[in-house]
Amino acid sequence: MKRYIRGTAAALATAALAVTGCSAGGSPTTGSPAGPGSMAPAEPITLTFWGSYGNGGNSAQQEILDNTLIPAFEASHAGVTVEYVDVPYDDLLQKLTTSAAAEELPDLVRADLGWVPRFADLGVLVPLSDVMPDFQQLADATFPGVLATNYFEGKYYGLPLDTNTRVLISNPDVLAKAGLDAPPATFDEFVALGNALKGSDVSLFADGGLGAWNLMPWIWSGGGDITDAELTTSSGVLDSDANVATLQMLVDLYTAGQISSGIIGNEGAVSTSEGLPNGNYATILDGPWMSGIWGDQFPDFEPVYSPVPAGPGGSVSVVGGEDIVLTASSKHQEAALEFIRFTQSEEFQLALVPTGQLTVIQALGDKQVELVPGLKVFTEQLGTAKNRLAITQGSEVDGILNEELTPAFEGTIGVREALTKAAARIDELLVG
Amino acid sequence: MRNHPPSPEFREPAPAVASRASGRAWIRRGSATPHLFLLPGFALFALAILYPIAQAFRMSFYDWKIVGSATSEFLGLENYLRALGDDKFWVAFGNTAFYAVATIVPQIVLGLAVALLLHGRAPARPLFRVLYYLPVVTSWVVVSLVFRFLFADQGLINYLLGEVAHVTDGQTSWLADRWTGMIAISALGIWKGVGWSMMIFLAALQGVPAALMEAAMIDGAGPWQRFRAVTLPAIRAALGFVTIMLVIGGFNVFISVYLMTAGGPAGRTEVLLTYMYNQAFGNLDFGYGSAIAVIVTLIVLALSLIQLRMFRNPDGGYVE
Repeated sequence: MKRYIRGTAAALATAALAVTGCSAGGSPTTGSPAGPGSMAPAEPITLTFWGSYGNGGNSAQQEILDNTLIPAFEASHAGVTVEYVDVPYDDLLQKLTTSAAAEELPDLVRADLGWVPRFADLGVLVPLSDVMPDFQQLADATFPGVLATNYFEGKYYGLPLDTNTRVLISNPDVLAKAGLDAPPATFDEFVALGNALKGSDVSLFADGGLGAWNLMPWIWSGGGDITDAELTTSSGVLDSDANVATLQMLVDLYTAGQISSGIIGNEGAVSTSEGLPNGNYATILDGPWMSGIWGDQFPDFEPVYSPVPAGPGGSVSVVGGEDIVLTASSKHQEAALEFIRFTQSEEFQLALVPTGQLTVIQALGDKQVELVPGLKVFTEQLGTAKNRLAITQGSEVDGILNEELTPAFEGTIGVREALTKAAARIDELLVG
Repeated sequence: MRNHPPSPEFREPAPAVASRASGRAWIRRGSATPHLFLLPGFALFALAILYPIAQAFRMSFYDWKIVGSATSEFLGLENYLRALGDDKFWVAFGNTAFYAVATIVPQIVLGLAVALLLHGRAPARPLFRVLYYLPVVTSWVVVSLVFRFLFADQGLINYLLGEVAHVTDGQTSWLADRWTGMIAISALGIWKGVGWSMMIFLAALQGVPAALMEAAMIDGAGPWQRFRAVTLPAIRAALGFVTIMLVIGGFNVFISVYLMTAGGPAGRTEVLLTYMYNQAFGNLDFGYGSAIAVIVTLIVLALSLIQLRMFRNPDGGYVE
């Protein structure tokens, strides 16, 4: 009981922290820590499942979940009810944080893959690789880069639920004007397209920041990385010759006005989703959800999808998506594991494909492309796509990369020096 | 004068009544009743405000683990020392101070000017009062997004400055640099706040004694002299109140920064509360976030006390 009180206290205090910022200007939304349904009677079991399928008004996903998938699971598992609670994506992390503090988490969470190490480190998740006898079998079926997002300090804390990755998306009219019939496939062709666009009012490329999500496709394709494989050091890895060359290429393009200032965090720059169809930008890196966004706003726009331009390291993109995790406070572990198994089934995986969720099961790739031909490039890119650092401080790493590399783009510091400074700061995180 | 607080003798009709109903029971009931009425509100206040504040204060001395079962390491003053040696904290502090100074003075000057204009007789006066007050009641989220579009690279401000007024080349990336970003954020703060100070000043102007104003006119005082010698002293209390509230508000700036620049680029437009929020909820570093929150509270408290002293009435009382 004492622990419960302390948890509630912490939740209240965290809420108070958020509220400190509000007396003059309203407050950021604080998630209510109350989790429903955790006191189900022994016989009929109710599993609570939090996620953000309905985010951004995308009712299609939640409808399939509520009306098709969950009823199918309940039909085959008598006495088990699954209660899905939709939380807007922007609120979910805060709601999970306060609920973890109050020890009122649901049984299952569809967690952004970047959150898994953080919550695993807090001790609120069950390592599935310890409790599922068939874990290895399920894990082997998934894309390796996607599975890796569940890994933290020797154990797997979840299974991939859905995935996505970034590919190169080009504006066909701009390509045609530059005399190209195909998007740039290599770093050299990418730079050449930039040169061809010089003097026009079209920029070669745009992105929304310098975090790992933005940079890793370039760094990996350029043959570099942020840390060594064992996550022990960043110095000597992040400031490698390969990364200096890759970053120098981007900085040179930026200096020549070929990359939008959105990449250094200018919120006033024309956004990628607007600038590409409008012809401000020739190319962007983005995910499968963009077709949905453009379908409404720019119905005539026909984007061209192609793999990330290949560098010395090949064409390697970054994995995104969500994992399903089981919380340590769940009172119905067996039933929850059954639901996790269900999410890995062909039925579950393919049902959501038409709504823009890519399957995490390698063997279903072909069927996925049959269902939605536009996902071909994404499915292929996922074969080599990698996960970001499996550490709890992912958001700190993003902050460091943005802070240290922005001056390099602005030309006030050399690329190598910027990378060395960033590496030294990331080293400190790896030690801690 | 009618709007002076009633003097103590008038406020207490009690003695005569009390003497009639002698006996301890009455006294106990009489003194307990107001407290009983206050109790529910105070309990809510204690639970929802006081307790979390105390808890946040405690957290600031720990490497706080949010999960109850984990042990948090006691760090003493380490989180505070970390803030003092943290360059980003000082950047955020500088930006917050800039915002406070850049928004408070215009809000007072413009608010007072508008109040003086709308105090006099004019047609459509209620309409103008409503129009000036409208920004105050609109949502911070909505107007922050509107201002982000206004100050965008291809936004209206660049168009007006470049294409219409020809004072710049129209290519300013307002939100891509520290000070231009802070100017844009401050512009929103001023626009949204003028109506509020106007309303307070309008109320205060009602209390300027007409007799004194008349006497000053008969003595041949011009409008400026009347303003300085009669109006300003009469609204001194309101001036103090507005200043203190605006300083508190200035140090609490959060939503506009969060939505207009997100603290970027590279954290250069971060203010204290966005930095605190990112530490606590972004990095789950609740101990450090709490320490920053405590520091902000101390700064605001100190500034408020200094101002209370500055605006102390000549006869020694504080402004209300």
